[in-house]
Amino acid sequence: MRLFKKTNIDFIGKRFFWYVVSTIMVLIGLVSIVFKGISYGIDFQGGTEMIISFSPSVPIENVRVILDKIGLGKSEIKFYGTEGSLLIRTSEQEEGTVIGTKIRNALTEGLPGNNIQVLREDKIGPKVGKELRTDALLAVLWSLGAILIYIGLRFKFRYGLGATISIFHDVLTTFGFLSIVNGLIPGLNLEITQEVIAAFLTLIGVSVNDTVVIFDRIRENSKIYRSMPLGDLMNKSLNETLSRTIITSGTIFLVLIILLIFGGEVNRGFAFTMAFGIVTGTYSSIYVASAFVLDWTRFQNRTKVIA
Amino acid sequence: MRNQLTRIIITVCLVILSVYFLWPTWQDYNYRKQLSGLIGQDSLTYAEKHHDDMLDAKLKRMKLGLDLQGGMRVVLEVDIIQLLDDLAKNKDEKFHSIVKEVRNETATNEISIIPDFVKKFQADTIRLSRYYGSIRDDDAKIAAKLEDEAGKAVDRAIEIVRNRVDQYGVSEPNIQKQGGRRIIVELPGVKDENEVRSLLHGTALLEFKMLKDPQVSYKVMESIDKFLTGKLGNDTALATSVASKEKEKKKEAEKPKDALSELTGGAVVSETDTSKEAQFAREHPFFFYVRPDQRGYGEGYVAEKDRDRVNRLLDRPEVQQIIPQDFEFLWSNKAQTTQTGQKFYTLYAVKKTPELKGEVVTNAQASVDPEDNRPIVNMEMNSEGARDWARITGANIGKRIAIILDKAIFSSPVVQTKITGGRSRITGMETPNEARLLEIVLKAGALPAPVTTIEQRSIGPSLGEDSIRSGLSSVFIAFILTVLFMLVYYHSAGAVADFALFFNILFILGVMASFGATLTIPGIAGIVLTIGMAVDANVLVNERVREEMETGKTLRAAIDTGYSRAFTAIFDGHVTSFLTGLVLYQFGAGPVQGFALTLMIGLVANLYSAIVITHLIMHIMMDNGYHPKFG
Repeated sequence: MRLFKKTNIDFIGKRFFWYVVSTIMVLIGLVSIVFKGISYGIDFQGGTEMIISFSPSVPIENVRVILDKIGLGKSEIKFYGTEGSLLIRTSEQEEGTVIGTKIRNALTEGLPGNNIQVLREDKIGPKVGKELRTDALLAVLWSLGAILIYIGLRFKFRYGLGATISIFHDVLTTFGFLSIVNGLIPGLNLEITQEVIAAFLTLIGVSVNDTVVIFDRIRENSKIYRSMPLGDLMNKSLNETLSRTIITSGTIFLVLIILLIFGGEVNRGFAFTMAFGIVTGTYSSIYVASAFVLDWTRFQNRTKVIA
Repeated sequence: MRNQLTRIIITVCLVILSVYFLWPTWQDYNYRKQLSGLIGQDSLTYAEKHHDDMLDAKLKRMKLGLDLQGGMRVVLEVDIIQLLDDLAKNKDEKFHSIVKEVRNETATNEISIIPDFVKKFQADTIRLSRYYGSIRDDDAKIAAKLEDEAGKAVDRAIEIVRNRVDQYGVSEPNIQKQGGRRIIVELPGVKDENEVRSLLHGTALLEFKMLKDPQVSYKVMESIDKFLTGKLGNDTALATSVASKEKEKKKEAEKPKDALSELTGGAVVSETDTSKEAQFAREHPFFFYVRPDQRGYGEGYVAEKDRDRVNRLLDRPEVQQIIPQDFEFLWSNKAQTTQTGQKFYTLYAVKKTPELKGEVVTNAQASVDPEDNRPIVNMEMNSEGARDWARITGANIGKRIAIILDKAIFSSPVVQTKITGGRSRITGMETPNEARLLEIVLKAGALPAPVTTIEQRSIGPSLGEDSIRSGLSSVFIAFILTVLFMLVYYHSAGAVADFALFFNILFILGVMASFGATLTIPGIAGIVLTIGMAVDANVLVNERVREEMETGKTLRAAIDTGYSRAFTAIFDGHVTSFLTGLVLYQFGAGPVQGFALTLMIGLVANLYSAIVITHLIMHIMMDNGYHPKFG
C-alpha cells in the first residue's frame, strides 16, 4: 500500500514564504506568552495542590465560599478528571503542610455529610519551586546543546545548527500554543508541570528524528550527485524522504493521541504537548532545517568570496 | 550462516533472561490474587506455607511508583541554621541578629549557609572563635569544622529517620540524601499523613526538668502582670532587677501601653468598654489570659484561643528580662477540655537547665497503665543515667519533675521515692497509637537539628488504581493499532515488525525488572511512546527496501541494502532521543525519572529488536523459501 506517490515539490524554492509563516507562528506564540501568560503547576511556583473528590459533587462556587472563610478564596479551583473531583491550588505558603490541613478541615466542616476524599495532596516549598524552574530551563538548554554537538559531529556543524534552530522553533511554537489553548478546553489542564517539561525534552529528541532522516539522505545524495547544486540536492532528498518522514511522525502522533484519550489524567498534559510538538517538529524538519542550512551555506560562501 | 546462528542464540538468551527477571513480578501478582481469594484460617495457612516464596517474589518484583500504588513522598530539609545556633556558646545580640539575617536570606535563595554565615561575621570583623572552638582556632578551621558538623548532622538525621521509618513498618521505604542537607523519604502505601508527619518531624528531644516552686512561679507571673499595667510593684528586688536592665524610665512608661494594645489588639477589649471583664483585662492583662490554678501548683491555665497571644507576650524582650535566669515557661503538650467544653492549655514554670537529657534513655516501650488503663511509655536508662536519676529523685522527693518532649510538657508527676533502677515513664497521651509513635521516636533517638518539610506529595491509592487501568489500556490500544497499521501498510514485512515489537516490550520490562526499576505513570507513557518509535525504525527500513526493490535489485539484496542504508539514520535518531532522555533523567524526580528510564531502555531495546531481530527473521524466512512482502 502506498500513501505517497513520487512527489516533486519545490520545498527549497518556496522557503522564504515558509520562513515568514514560521516567524508568524513563533510571534503569535510569544505574544500569547507575554500577554496571556503561562500557568505553572505547583511544581514550579510552589504552594499546595489538592485533588479532592466530593460525593455528591459540589459546585465550585460553594467550595470557593468555604475556602474564602479561611483566607484562601483566591485559590484556583477547577474540575479534575470526570466524577465530581476538584483540583484546588493555592500558592500561599505556610510551614510544612499546615495549609493542606486547613483546607481539609474547612471542607469537612463546611460540607457536613459529604463524603470527602483527598485523592492527592502536594505541597511544594518556595525554594523548591524556584529550583525546579531553573533546572527545567537548564535541562532544555543542555538537550539543545547535546543535539547541536552530536549532529554537528555526525554531519557538519551547519547541520547541527540547522537542527538546533528547527528544534528551537518547535519549542517556542509549542510553548506559545500551550499558552493560547490553556483554559479553552474545559477539563484539559495545560499548565507547565514536570510532565510537560518531560514532553518538551522528549519532543526535542524525537522530532530531531525526522530531521536526521532528511539530513542523512542529503548526505547520501551529495556523495552520488556530486555536481548538483545544494538547493536541488536538498529538494530531491526532501521529496525522496517525504513518505518516510510523514509516516514515522504519523505513527508517533497516532500513539500520542491514544495516550491523550486513554492514558489517564496524569499523562494528558504530556500527550497534548508532545502531539502538537510532533506536528511542528515534522513541519520544521521539512521546511526549516534544510532551508536554514542552505541559506547558511550560501551566506558563508558569499562572505568567503568577498574576503 | 554462523553469524545467523550467533544472533539466534543471543536473541533466545535475551528472551530467557527477560522472562527470568519478570517471573517474580508474575509470581507476586499470582500469590496476591490467591491470597485475596481465601479468607480466615485458609489464608493464614496459605501465607505460612508459601511464606518464603512470597517474600522472595516480593523482593524481586518490579516496583510500582508512588503514583501507581499510593503513598507519600516527603523531602525534609535539615535546619542547619538551628544547628549552628545550638553549637555556639556566648551568644549575644550580634550573634542572634546575624543568625536571623542568614535565615532570611537562605529562605528563598539557594545560597550555601555556612559560607554566608562566616562572611557575615567577617564583614563585621568578628572572629568565629568568639562563639565556636577555642581562641587559637582561625576562621577557616572553624568554618571547616562547622561544615563537618553539618554534614555529620545530616547523616545522623538520615539514620534516625531511617530507624523511625523501619520501626513504623512501611514496606519498601526509600530514604535518600539529596544535595547537602535534604532527605527524600518515600513511603509507599502509607495512608495516615498525620502519623507520618509526627513521625518525621519531632526532634524527639527528651528532657527532665524540675518544676519551679509555686510561690516563685506566682511571683514572676505577678511581675509580668504588673509590668504590663505600667505599674511596678513595691517589691524592690524585682524593681531593681528590671530597672537595672532598662536605662530610661520614660521608655518604660511607653512600652507597657504597646504590650497592652498588642495583647488586646483587635479582639477582646476596647478602650471604652467598662464591663467588669474589660476592667479586669485592663488591670491585669496577664492574668486575664493566664488564670492561675487554684490548687497552689504554680501553673496557669490558658484558653486554646489565647495561646498565641500569651506566647507573643512572653516573647517580648522586656518581659523576657523580667523572667529570672534559669526559669522558663513551657506549655503542656495537650489541651484539656472542661465540663463546659472549653479547651485550655496549662502553662508551667520550670527550671531552665534540664536535670537529665534523653540521651540516657536506652529503651522505650509503649504500654498501658495498669491503674487507669491509659497509654503510657516506659523508659529505661543507661547506668550513668540511672545513677543521675537516682540522685535527682532522691534529692527531690515531694517535688514535681516535668517530662518534656520537644519542649512540650507531657506530664509532671510528683517524685514519690528515690528511683534506682533507671526507670521512668511518660504519660499524658490520649491514644495507644500516640504511645506507639512516641516509643518509636524515643528509641530511634533525637534528631541533631530540626527538620522542615519543604516538599510533600501524597497520593491516595484509588487515583493510582485508575491510572494503572488507563495506562494499561493505552498501551494495549497503541499496540493493537500499530500492529494493524503495519500489517495493512507493509504486509508480511509489517508482520515481522509486529513480532519484533513484542520482543521489544518484553525486553524493556525484563531490563527494568532486572535492576529493580520503578514503573510510574509517565513510565507507562514511555512504553507507549516506545511502541510508536519502534515502528519508526521499521518504517525507515521498509521504505528503504521498497526503494531498493524499485531499482531492480533482488529481494535479498534489496533487504540487505535497505537495512544497511537505513541504519545510520535510525542510529542517529535513537542516539539523539537517548541523549535527551538522559538529560531528563538528571533533571526529573520520581515519576518523570521513571519516564526517562523507560524511554532510554526502550530505545536501546528497540535498536536490537527492530534491526537485528527483524533482519534475522527475514533471513530465516527467505532461507525457508518464503518471500517477505513489503506491501
